Amino acid sequence: MSQLKYAYYPGCASQEITKESSKTTRLVASALGIELHDMPKANCCGAGLLTDYDYDLYIALNARIFAEAEQMGMDIMTICSTCLMVMSTANRDLQNDKRLLEKTNDILSKAGLHYSGNVKVKQFLWVLAEDYGLDNLKKKVVKPLSWLKVAPFYGCHSLRPSSALGFDDPQKPWSLEAVIKALGAEAVEYKGKTKCCGFQVDLVAEETAVQMTGTRLLDAKGHGGNCLVTPCPFCHINLDNYQGLAEKKVHQKIDLPIFHLSQLVGLALGLSAVEMGMTRHLVSAEKLVG
Amino acid sequence: MKIKIKIKRFNPNEGEESREPYFQLYNVEAGEGMTVLDALLKIADEDDPTLSFRRSCRSAICGSCAVSINGHAKLACKTQILPERHKFGEILVEPLANHAVMKDLIVDFSPFWNKMSRVTPYLTPPPGRQEQADDVKITPADEAAIDRAQTCIMCGACNSECNALEIDPEYIAPAALAKAWRFVGDVREGEKQKRLERLSMEHGMWDCVRCVHCTEYCPKDVRPLKEIELLRSAAIGRGITDNHGAKHVESMTQSVKRVGRLDEAAMTFKTLGFLRSLGMIPFGLKMELHGKMPMPLIFSQIEGMDEVKTIFDEIEEKKKEKE
Repeated sequence: MSQLKYAYYPGCASQEITKESSKTTRLVASALGIELHDMPKANCCGAGLLTDYDYDLYIALNARIFAEAEQMGMDIMTICSTCLMVMSTANRDLQNDKRLLEKTNDILSKAGLHYSGNVKVKQFLWVLAEDYGLDNLKKKVVKPLSWLKVAPFYGCHSLRPSSALGFDDPQKPWSLEAVIKALGAEAVEYKGKTKCCGFQVDLVAEETAVQMTGTRLLDAKGHGGNCLVTPCPFCHINLDNYQGLAEKKVHQKIDLPIFHLSQLVGLALGLSAVEMGMTRHLVSAEKLVG
Repeated sequence: MKIKIKIKRFNPNEGEESREPYFQLYNVEAGEGMTVLDALLKIADEDDPTLSFRRSCRSAICGSCAVSINGHAKLACKTQILPERHKFGEILVEPLANHAVMKDLIVDFSPFWNKMSRVTPYLTPPPGRQEQADDVKITPADEAAIDRAQTCIMCGACNSECNALEIDPEYIAPAALAKAWRFVGDVREGEKQKRLERLSMEHGMWDCVRCVHCTEYCPKDVRPLKEIELLRSAAIGRGITDNHGAKHVESMTQSVKRVGRLDEAAMTFKTLGFLRSLGMIPFGLKMELHGKMPMPLIFSQIEGMDEVKTIFDEIEEKKKEKE
């Protein structure tokens, strides 16, 4: 296998509120021999909110991110599903519409930048499942996670819109289950795995958000999950940080530990819970990880 | 080849035993090109005339036959049996989700139509110009702006998949929002401001959770999420920002303009306002115990902020030129 290297785009959440996710991703990548190169100039993708504000601004600011990666000569790897969706949608539009690319480069040129349209945007999950490969991942496992019944939580933005993402199948996704199994754990099946965690309306329609979070957690637990894994920091915020609020809303104790994808991999690679920042989670995973 | 089709059935008007939904298996002779609707018609014709479903045109134009096939909303007339079975190993047909079932695959569409009527789905001439709607010149670009929204066949697939509607039945939902853009985006429309003000209220366009189901499963590529984004931009552009949704967007934009990235603490404060932010304090303290309280980003700018500022200025400039 040739050396894997990526322009690393953790996203805003994973640099602050869920920084344990980025920290662990770096540890795991280094253990697997994947090079992650920082993007010191990278701005926020807008998380969908810039798209609401002004489409042209959203496209230009995302093109600025791609321009940096293009200069580095690498594809982008993110650990946030929303960044993935937002960047991939901008990239699709720029790659499919020559006039939009020209118009955007006009704007970029004023800032001394240029984007040719040749960058790919990938998620850590895809890198593990495809670029690195499941067989190679299996070889690195030192502690098979045989005691874990993991509920895979794709959420929305690692799957939809498939016209922009084009990796997994939103109707019948496989990548997260495949990684869980490669780590020696069991993957639990439940309908809510491809649904929304509620994050986007946490500050706008809180009732809906918290009820949604509770519904997903009960679904995952009700189908036999003793923990849940998500490739997205925003899903983690709702499913972990908001779990207490969700429990009040659905009048039930849930107590379901939520792993970042990198933490589940790290656990199988022999990293400790403390190294992976698991004390930062609001729902303790102590009973599962010791 | 004989293929098993599993159909969810329900008849509230029959004997006690069938008051609960149940699944029934049918064996259908299926060949290349046969659709799920062909199979339903064949079952009703040859096997079980009590099976109820809606259908009309058989050509993905009327929007009557949307049902859930293997877990997601699809037009029965546009979905072929063999590829579907190849992918899922079975054919499972259920009524649309997020709608009350009346009988078998027929759902109650009255909430759908009520939501449509909430967005007044017809043009309103400008006040005092009742007679002059014909005078407005329409360019191909004007038409293109609302083109996709016009192709909606009102099948209900998007609402069936919508996660916000799953939780909040009062949410206006994607079908009506796509329709709303069809009028807000129309150069002839005279009440854009009023429409956008109404759409900005509770259970309105800002309650979309951006799950992207509507756009993914629309059989006519209307992409309702895109129309929702266009409506939101239009509302902000017209200064309709006195609501949490628009404030959320504005504070994010300001944060990117200031430091190049998201300032979570400032965003919470600006979106919720002072009093509601105070209400977040107990929750915030618990977050702080785990080191999760977001701190305002006073010093941590990204590199190359001058480039970001140039991009903001250029876009502003271009906007002014347009106006």
